[in-house]
Amino acid sequence: MNARKLTFLFLLGSMFVPAAQAQIKHIEMRVEGMT
Amino acid sequence: MKQHLGRQSGVQNVDVSLIDGKVEVTPKEDGQIDPAQLLKAVYDSGVSVAEMDITVRGKIVKDADGNLALQVSPSQSFAITPNDLLKTLEPLADSPAVVTLRGELYRKPAGKKKAAASAPLKLLILEVEKKE
Repeated sequence: MNARKLTFLFLLGSMFVPAAQAQIKHIEMRVEGMT
Repeated sequence: MKQHLGRQSGVQNVDVSLIDGKVEVTPKEDGQIDPAQLLKAVYDSGVSVAEMDITVRGKIVKDADGNLALQVSPSQSFAITPNDLLKTLEPLADSPAVVTLRGELYRKPAGKKKAAASAPLKLLILEVEKKE
């Protein structure tokens, strides 16, 4: 029973981990009129 | 401008190069940052943004109209401008696959001195860095 629960939790976690790691890593702007 | 940008939510570090007019923004580790807010912050400090490039990790999803978008978080996604690189990502739509993309999120329209900072941001993919 515990093994089945653990397997279920592992599968559930692996579904959500990639989404949680999604993010903006870097932003670069070229600007005009800067003094 | 550097201080103004540094105060925006989700910004960890700002590097400004006066020589080539480049501004690099490093988001905090959670990556929760709003590029539209940064554009507005730059305009508010009296400087015009010519273009904005972004490196972003997320999932390819289809919106209600069937157009592809990059979902960065449940509350943040970017519409994607169709091009050849997007065609290679079409099979990943609505799958659990995560991609890392480099793309152009904003470019000042030609001939305009100052574009509206509130224009919707659309991602033009320049490079697919990683598919996971």
